[in-house]
Amino acid sequence: MYFKLLGASLIVFAAYTYGYNISSMYQKRVLQLKELLLALEMLLAEVNYGLTPLPRAFINVGKKLKKPVGTVFSEAATLMLKSKGLSAQECWKKALERNCDALQLSRNGMELVDRLGLVWGQCDKSGQLKQIALIQELLRQALEEAENEYHKNDKIWKYLGLLGGLTMVIFLL
Amino acid sequence: MPNTAGNIIKQISPLLAPKVRFIVENLPNELLVKTEEIRLRHSRPLIIIWSGGESYLGPKGPVVAPRDAYMVSDEDLVKTLELISSYSLYAYEEELKQGYLTIPGGHRVGLAGRAVVEGGRIKVLRDISSFNFRVARQVKGAGEKVLAFIFDRRSGRILHSLVISPPQGGKTTLLRDLARLISEGAGILGQAGKKVGIVDERSEIAGCYQGVPQLDVGFRTDVLDACPKAEGIMLMLRSLSPQVIITDEIGRGDDVKAIEEAIHAGVSVIASAHGSSLEEICQRPIMGGLLQKNYFERLIFLSNRRGPGTLEMIIEGEKGLPLYSLRHGGE
Repeated sequence: MYFKLLGASLIVFAAYTYGYNISSMYQKRVLQLKELLLALEMLLAEVNYGLTPLPRAFINVGKKLKKPVGTVFSEAATLMLKSKGLSAQECWKKALERNCDALQLSRNGMELVDRLGLVWGQCDKSGQLKQIALIQELLRQALEEAENEYHKNDKIWKYLGLLGGLTMVIFLL
Repeated sequence: MPNTAGNIIKQISPLLAPKVRFIVENLPNELLVKTEEIRLRHSRPLIIIWSGGESYLGPKGPVVAPRDAYMVSDEDLVKTLELISSYSLYAYEEELKQGYLTIPGGHRVGLAGRAVVEGGRIKVLRDISSFNFRVARQVKGAGEKVLAFIFDRRSGRILHSLVISPPQGGKTTLLRDLARLISEGAGILGQAGKKVGIVDERSEIAGCYQGVPQLDVGFRTDVLDACPKAEGIMLMLRSLSPQVIITDEIGRGDDVKAIEEAIHAGVSVIASAHGSSLEEICQRPIMGGLLQKNYFERLIFLSNRRGPGTLEMIIEGEKGLPLYSLRHGGE
């Protein structure tokens, strides 16, 4: 009897954790998009007021942000400073590849972040500011979608996990 | 210059597009040592210029015919621009307008491309199609001979001097070494050095990168980098109390006014101007006017007759007496 109870509670716990993980993925997506928007806001200031060269600006931004978004900026800066002849886009892409497992973005979000690589360092000040602002706008839309999805899916997945676990237990018993 | 090859490998080649970098890094040392310029032009051969000649560079080293040389591609140029501007064109707009960038080590990269003009002035250079990497060379000791003529032992003062030479005659090298010698006060001065202010509009004298001099201009020297000469001289006078002001390539009306201001404030001025003879300089309206006022106590003529920085003549400013002439075998 005790074994059955133990097994049943393990099944319920495992199913609930599964549902919880999926719902926290939606939460992480929202948080990471917010971090990215914050990063772009900081970069706007670095470009606009400080005229800080990009590697330095990336280091400054990377230090202030949480992982993994901050790490992407820091690693891109390290690659730029290594002087291996890589373009800004290549450095950005490599940094993204190294951190893609930790980034919980949707496909659309990843595409946007990937597109950021094309933005860096190719334009004069006003062009650079406009391009950052454009990506910001697109990221805001992505954030709105991600927030909607989070609100929609958060409770569903948590309950679904729990109820799924209970259903399984009932059938097995 | 034993360091030139090392400087090219360490400071310049990391900023070249990978294919060009590979070619330059594999050049024989004896060629790198004398390299003065590396020229990249769109769809044209990669060339290096050295004292007294030039070489076309092929994928495996110098080649004889231009058609065998490596042709610089669009990708090479785009990448090189990204690398020299540290991926930040927005941070170097002003330099791009002027057509050059200074890179670590004080080397200068000249640029040519399509100028975007707004209101009759260059707004920005776009579609860069040529790069000229000019290797910065510091010739320590280049100013020792001249210093003896521009230092007044009795008053302990540096005399107002104008260095005149055609392009690539060694004006900037001389000014740089004079700054170092006067600032450090060694040798001929026989006394503590003087406070030197360099107004370096084109970042050529001190070769500043992000505000820090990359070449040795002495430890009592303050450098106002990329600052318009006239404004810079006034700023120096107001706040940095220099005893000697050094500036490059004067020629505009504003520069002349600021120089007059400095001279009247009791500060020694050493400046340079393009020209090959006194007559030629006098014909230029602004420079002619300045020379007629006899502010400059020494006029120093350089040429590249026997290599860059050949000291041709030194004239006493007021009476025009020659103090030194190469043709007459010295003093």
